[in-house]
Amino acid sequence: MAKAEDIIAALGGADNIIEIEPCATRLRTEVKDAGAVNEAGLKAAGAFGVMRQGTVVQVVVGPEADTIATDIEDILD
Amino acid sequence: MTRVLSPVGGRVVGLAGVPDPVFAQAMVGPGTAVDPAREPGQAIAPVTGKIVKMHPHAYVVVDDEGHGVLVHLGIDTVQLKGEGFELLAAEGDRVTAGQPLVAWDPAAVEAGGRSPICAVVALDASAEALSDVVESGTVQRGAELYVWS
Repeated sequence: MAKAEDIIAALGGADNIIEIEPCATRLRTEVKDAGAVNEAGLKAAGAFGVMRQGTVVQVVVGPEADTIATDIEDILD
Repeated sequence: MTRVLSPVGGRVVGLAGVPDPVFAQAMVGPGTAVDPAREPGQAIAPVTGKIVKMHPHAYVVVDDEGHGVLVHLGIDTVQLKGEGFELLAAEGDRVTAGQPLVAWDPAAVEAGGRSPICAVVALDASAEALSDVVESGTVQRGAELYVWS
């Protein structure tokens, strides 16, 4: 869960996250304010890479993406 | 030492030939990629081991040495939500290299506007750990793509 919490924080906190969806290798997220996303923080949380296109942020975490997404959703709910 | 087999038959394009930066830049690991023949087929297990992740469009098999190989069938295929993919095995199953795991149709993926290119990634491996990596030419399903030491 610590990893999920770190990722939420680096995405600008729970209130900044509109949607989060796991893929085989990455978390596809949509945020309200792209400026609040901390790329270094995401990498410190274990992300291999971060791809940003406007408010869509893809966090590359490897095949554990579905497990991490479930943890994040549990925290957000 | 793990011999990693091609999950599909087709034309080898290398990871750099995958139209997705995560794979092309080897963010999740080194490996290679195959542009599959445009005919309905069954993607096979690249190694003997346990299926630790089973999505309709992607799977990971970990062998007894702890080497996990990711096979990703097409790009952005998560958006298809499983449509067009039939699972022939389940997460947690022990499988043999060459065993069919997913039935799909690369031509249908392409017709939907997505690339059917299949990335075959050595998860968390260093590039130096792979040898004899095939990065061009044609490959038969089940032929060796690389050796992971």
